[in-house]
Amino acid sequence: MTRAGGWLLAAGALTLPLCLQSTYHLHVAIMAGIFGVLAMSLNLLLGYTGQLSLGHTAFFGIGAYTSALLTLKLEWSFWPACAAAVGLAGAAGFFIGRLALKLRGAYFVLVTISFAGVISLVSVNWIELTNGPLGLPGVPAPELGPWSLRTKTAYYYLVLAAVALSYAVCRRLVRSRIGRALMALRENEALAESIGVDVTHYLVLAAVVSAAMAGLGGSLYAHYTRFVSPEVFLFTYTVTMVIMVVAGGKGTLAGPLVGAVLFTVLPETLRAVASWQWQMLAYGLLLVLLLFFLPRGIVPQISAYIAGPPRSDPGSRAPSP
Amino acid sequence: MAELLQHLLNGLVLGGTYALLGIGLTLIFGLINVVNFAHGEFYTLGAYVSFAVLALAGIGFFVALVAAIVVGAALGWLCEVALLRPLRNESIDTTMLVMIGVWIAMQNAELLGWGGVAKSIPHPFPTAPLVLGPVAIAPLRLFVLVLAAGLIAASWLLIQKTKLGRAMRATFQDRDTAALMGVGIGRIHAATFAFGSGLAAAAGALLGPIFLVYPSMGDLASLKAFSVVILGGLGNLPGATLGGLLLGIAEELGAGYISSGYRDAVGFVIIILILLFRPSGLFARQERIA
Amino acid sequence: MGKRSIGLVALVLVALAALAVPGHSQAPIKIGVIEPLSGPVAASGNYVRMGAEIARDWINAKGGIAGRKIDLLIEDNKSDPKEAASAAEKLIVRDKVPAIMGAWGSSMTLAAMPKLEEYGVPMVVETSSAASITKRGNPWIFRISPPSEMEALGLEQYVDKLGVKRVDFLAVNTDWGRGSITAFGDMLKKRGAAVGVAEFMDQSATDMNAQITKIKATGGDTLFLTTAVEQITLVMKQAQEQRLTRKIVTTGGSSSPTQLIKQAGAAAEGSYHIVFFMPWFPESMPDGKLAKAFVDEWAKRGHPFEGLTEGFRGHDGIATIAEAIRVAGKDEAAAVRDALWKVSLMGVNGPIKFEKDGPTGKESGQSKPSIFVVQIRDGKVALPDFLAKK
Repeated sequence: MTRAGGWLLAAGALTLPLCLQSTYHLHVAIMAGIFGVLAMSLNLLLGYTGQLSLGHTAFFGIGAYTSALLTLKLEWSFWPACAAAVGLAGAAGFFIGRLALKLRGAYFVLVTISFAGVISLVSVNWIELTNGPLGLPGVPAPELGPWSLRTKTAYYYLVLAAVALSYAVCRRLVRSRIGRALMALRENEALAESIGVDVTHYLVLAAVVSAAMAGLGGSLYAHYTRFVSPEVFLFTYTVTMVIMVVAGGKGTLAGPLVGAVLFTVLPETLRAVASWQWQMLAYGLLLVLLLFFLPRGIVPQISAYIAGPPRSDPGSRAPSP
Repeated sequence: MAELLQHLLNGLVLGGTYALLGIGLTLIFGLINVVNFAHGEFYTLGAYVSFAVLALAGIGFFVALVAAIVVGAALGWLCEVALLRPLRNESIDTTMLVMIGVWIAMQNAELLGWGGVAKSIPHPFPTAPLVLGPVAIAPLRLFVLVLAAGLIAASWLLIQKTKLGRAMRATFQDRDTAALMGVGIGRIHAATFAFGSGLAAAAGALLGPIFLVYPSMGDLASLKAFSVVILGGLGNLPGATLGGLLLGIAEELGAGYISSGYRDAVGFVIIILILLFRPSGLFARQERIA
Repeated sequence: MGKRSIGLVALVLVALAALAVPGHSQAPIKIGVIEPLSGPVAASGNYVRMGAEIARDWINAKGGIAGRKIDLLIEDNKSDPKEAASAAEKLIVRDKVPAIMGAWGSSMTLAAMPKLEEYGVPMVVETSSAASITKRGNPWIFRISPPSEMEALGLEQYVDKLGVKRVDFLAVNTDWGRGSITAFGDMLKKRGAAVGVAEFMDQSATDMNAQITKIKATGGDTLFLTTAVEQITLVMKQAQEQRLTRKIVTTGGSSSPTQLIKQAGAAAEGSYHIVFFMPWFPESMPDGKLAKAFVDEWAKRGHPFEGLTEGFRGHDGIATIAEAIRVAGKDEAAAVRDALWKVSLMGVNGPIKFEKDGPTGKESGQSKPSIFVVQIRDGKVALPDFLAKK
């Protein structure tokens, strides 16, 4: 990603509301942004530590419910509620991290699924707190001083800021010593441990940041859709997040964002072009095809293409991230 | 007391069906290391094949069961060869994602083909329950339990006594050595996937008449199957059997004495506890490095 | 490999471009429909869709509204509130529909409601039962289905005749099931009945034996059951296996007694069902001719008979919207909304006319639908024994 390219992208993102033809498109852009934050959070765990969490909706849901409940029942303003959502989700991440990160591979996957399952059942059954299946309608829109951020354009910029923040956090983390330690873990855990990398410590750290970011996504979701119900824990959201990360390119910074945009736009495009009977079937088939032809993900594949076929001389440039 | 006995009996019957689902998955998961989210779809497929044979063609129950197994195994073999084998060197999450795609595609194809209305499969058993003292059980369920036990026993025999079974066990224990010893790894993978999917389809054909057949019936089945696999230990067939029974009874008692709303939480909590304290499963004899 | 990834980038660009193409405005009047057409309740969503299509074809056969035909724009909400909101957004902004019918489940409807207020487009709610839908102060909501409280009131007159003294509840663990338990529980207590246990089942659960065993132990005389027809079938079969011998009353109108007879057989014998349409004796409906015509048309199209108890909702919803457009004189959202307060028409269920419901100044519209009780006797659907004795 060259510097000029980066500036161009930023300019495009900032002026998007002016270029788009309708608020429906803005709606799609906002959803893409929220899922971008979620995908990046999952990527921290999946792409950089190699551990697959299929329970990320738990942190997403905790963030959404915390933010909604604090603004609805205790009448907090959006900003502290959002911070609380991020904090609580992060705490949950710490809890799961400490417990579950003794496990690896498929076992870790199953613990995360079970955790999300339990949280989901609590949200359905603990009526006094969460209002159960009836959900929490009427979550207020955020306010910045005297201005309400209710309009789509305003909310778009809020989400854009969150996306930029999350990206920056990921980037700092990945490029720091912590990031290098994580990647060492991903490549060869035993070896990393042998040279003194404290495995559990770094994994838990990644889990906390990852969960906190997912909580941010949850809070943004709650205040945009203004309705939170136990359906936020639906397994399809987990599946969507995973698809975005893996198809976009896990272990890259841009991959999850590309994946988020593609897989938010794709179902809406299918809604426009395919009659309802064929939409989900087409979606499943497209997914299989995509993975078949681009198993590493879109961004790594494009980077590899740009860098050209690997040459045997050691002086060749490394592919861009 | 009668209530407790009835709960236990319910749990046993339920558990037998969970066991059948778990066995197929534990082999696939354990041997090929694929997080097979489409497992529940083979279960659904078996139920629909059984419906087609019984309700539409009007042929007998056993034919339907055999047909379901054959179709399930064939499709499973196809999945492995066409989708998983080319992606063999990719990471576990890529193959998992492919199976998720298969899951979405299969379920929606069934929705398209059969419609969303639940179908009921006719069966020749009387509906009046058999009364055994203070408890009651339907003849159909007893029959299904017996058949399930038979299938489990047959699978056990296949794994232990046949050449194919030996090859599968060898591949499971140490793939590279097995390959060096001349075992065709590709063939074993395909055979395992076919076997596991065939068993799932059999479970669907057996349970179809007890419950109802509809496109999303496999979703919960997949999740329960994973619970059973964890309980019993990856690749551990008797473990999966016992794990299935245990899960059924635990769920039944939990729903009966604690809360019916949190019924499914029982399975989840069990998974969490087992994985934290005994990750190799309740019944594994040796410790596997997770 | 490189060529393929270029292809994929092209696909993304095309997808983005497709979104940018503006919708054309056409002569037909567009009405939006949001239903769960895939997922666990796909059957019900599709029945409503089929009923809506019959209404559309009948109206178009009579020349449409002021010479213009109606066009139904059907969206799938995939039983997911987020999708329901997206579908509403697309219908309103891209397709510019003046009115919508939807969204079946209460959570889906609640999720779409903010969009209605944001853009000022009315929605006719045809199935959802949560009380909060009309009490939230959303003046763009018009409901023709009964909230659980209204349903309970509809049964109140029969409580003594039914002989309900001790009642237990078994409901699906959703807003519908829970709301039903609260509404019927309050009504029954007012009539002097004792309430025993309230058990729940997950929407996709197939084994309810634990709950049935618990209910059996309470010694009550009646079981109120609220869930979709597939689960009702399973509960009845499992109750029969456990020899549960008490009156069963199903609520919510999604019980499809015909399907129950087919699939639960003898286990369904004697059970009572609250329904909002009686396709077995259409002449007894408030507009017998219309009801009969609907039943005949449904059969002519080869739709399954058991879907009628839900399909009629689609018809009544579209008929209501069409009538409002006719009264308004134009297919413009605010005008249609105002017209909805003025409409008075005859649907398959009965008369439809909206009354104010909810906080003053921001009322939603709620119609008072007709409520019926039927019973399964001798393997057929009949009027309940306590009524027939007259």
